[in-house]
Amino acid sequence: MSMLSYIMKRILWLIPVLFLVLTLTFLLTKLMPGDPVQAMLPLNHTHAQYLQMEHMLGLDQPVIVQYFRYIADLFSGNWGESYTVNRGVPVWDLIWERFPRTIELTVFSLLIATFFGIKTGIISSKYRNKWQDTSFRGFALIGVSIPVYWLGMMLQYLFAYRLDWLPSGGFKNMKYGDPKFVTGFRLIDSLIDGKIYMAIDYFSHILLPVLCLAFIFLAGITRQTRSSMLEILQQDYIRTARAKGCKEKVVLHTHALKNALIPVVTVIGLGFGGLLGGAILTEATFTMAGMGDLVVSAIFERDIYLINGIVFFSALLIIAINLLVDVLYGVIDPRIRY
Amino acid sequence: MEKIEQQELEEPIEIRKEKRKNIITYIKFLLIPGYIMEDLAVREFEYEKTISKRKFIRRLKSILTIIGIGIILVIVSFAVFAPWISPQTLEETASFYPNPDHPNQWPYSPPSPENPLGTTHFGRDLVSIMIWGARVSLSVALLSLLISVPTGIIIGTIAAYYGGVIDSILMRIVDVIIVFPGLVFLIVIIGVFGQRLEYFILAFGLLGIGGYARLIRGSVLQARDLTYVEAARASGAGNWRIMFKHLLPNCIQPTVIAFTFAIGGIILSLAGLAFLGFNDPEQVEWGFYISQARAEMLDAPWAVFWPGFMIMMTVLGFMLTGDGLRDALDPRLRNI
Repeated sequence: MSMLSYIMKRILWLIPVLFLVLTLTFLLTKLMPGDPVQAMLPLNHTHAQYLQMEHMLGLDQPVIVQYFRYIADLFSGNWGESYTVNRGVPVWDLIWERFPRTIELTVFSLLIATFFGIKTGIISSKYRNKWQDTSFRGFALIGVSIPVYWLGMMLQYLFAYRLDWLPSGGFKNMKYGDPKFVTGFRLIDSLIDGKIYMAIDYFSHILLPVLCLAFIFLAGITRQTRSSMLEILQQDYIRTARAKGCKEKVVLHTHALKNALIPVVTVIGLGFGGLLGGAILTEATFTMAGMGDLVVSAIFERDIYLINGIVFFSALLIIAINLLVDVLYGVIDPRIRY
Repeated sequence: MEKIEQQELEEPIEIRKEKRKNIITYIKFLLIPGYIMEDLAVREFEYEKTISKRKFIRRLKSILTIIGIGIILVIVSFAVFAPWISPQTLEETASFYPNPDHPNQWPYSPPSPENPLGTTHFGRDLVSIMIWGARVSLSVALLSLLISVPTGIIIGTIAAYYGGVIDSILMRIVDVIIVFPGLVFLIVIIGVFGQRLEYFILAFGLLGIGGYARLIRGSVLQARDLTYVEAARASGAGNWRIMFKHLLPNCIQPTVIAFTFAIGGIILSLAGLAFLGFNDPEQVEWGFYISQARAEMLDAPWAVFWPGFMIMMTVLGFMLTGDGLRDALDPRLRNI
């Protein structure tokens, strides 16, 4: 029961945060230059047409009414229609079409970075100040300081231009079509459909972007794991475990790692927001049509409904990830469940 | 007389042999890396055992930290002395048109004696781009941190010290800032208010408040119930005095370290925004040149490589210094 009440308390705190985020977005888009009414009308419109369109869009109401209708619309699924990126396409459809691609990119990078990052962090803390530690720390420092798009471009130059091993951008080879739509995630769909060549081709396309994102995230996880493991390894219970005769591997993985994971989980949760930002830059470098690309186009074109939809969506995502991280805290460390 | 002469003759030979041994040892010491002279090593070890590691400067002596501080000094000198070091003036570097006075600077020309790193679009010299770009990055980073750090510290200290309802309200507001997707928020602010450097500084400043508030709040929560606070209250100190004269100096250490890392982070974010196209058109920013040179990357890879390399080196310097600072300030590593 305490676990459930812990989760409920967390959710209750997050609801006002969500509303404040929505209010902030609404205010920002109200301040934005550019007139959506004018953008939807042909150039030689009359004043009557302008008023009619304004009434259709609901923009002639006072601001408070607009705000409440905006909140109601957002929660009822009507996110408006984008008027610049793809004219007339509902925002929800646009986001849902592109969101799986970004999520696949992000999730793959997260998995690779977490797996290898924790391993290198443990090795770094075990061989403190020896050559393994110094080399991993050097890589981690470079990974934290390198710009994503620059790394992507260097990898593109090396692997796509010089060596010609991997394609330089995009999601798919234009000759292959799309698999049958089951989940929207290209990898799962192509495997369900039985078209293995499509899955392999997809892997080769996303390998470089995933490597870029994973390298940077891996650096952060390695640093955090190393520092928290170093702190844990000085504790008394580790000495007890070694004195009891446990193998070093058991001491490290069973006793030390479990306690060291809490700051690492924090970093992973915080880093997910950073991964979404990195996905924006990576999609710009590798010219993939994902959600990051959509964000940049939306803001360049001042598309209000699209911006609203994307900000709401990303805020929901980050809140969900934070909730997951908090729940993971409760799972890993029973002392935190108050 | 003969005995004395014999003795005088024998000594010089022994002394000569010893001198020869010493010279050979010194030459070996100079030329062979890692050669250990025992008596010197013993004396060094004894000295290291006696000197105290409590002095802060001695704890910064690790080689990586010194490299980091060196890089920061180089970048700061680039920023401060740019008009004197750089081969081109700021107008030439940041202008929109090719320079008619230098017809030899073709766009995207390879490294040559005139342009040691090559040129980028419009024939701008890469060395001057690297030097002038340091100004924008450093000024944005430092000024935005000047906004976010004091605000974050004040909010965090007040929230943690008073606790209760004030704590909850302030932390929810801070959560809003943290939960809002960062890059999207920046891009929206720039899109709304215009592409000028002041708005960048403001946006970064607003975004950074949350992190420092949380850090300070954690430290002050731990230190709030300690005895010295009670003693200060008993001697008649008011709340604000306790907060800012007694609690804050003891709780500020994680913030100092986060400050150093944040400078690197802001420089990276600024370059990322410039890459996407959200930059101040009148300023020299490294990310902008990366995006411009992307079209010619296959023919002119130097135009893409050097600005990115500069970004990496700058951020690396701050990260190295931050790491060294964190290890030096760590209370558990005292008196090693």
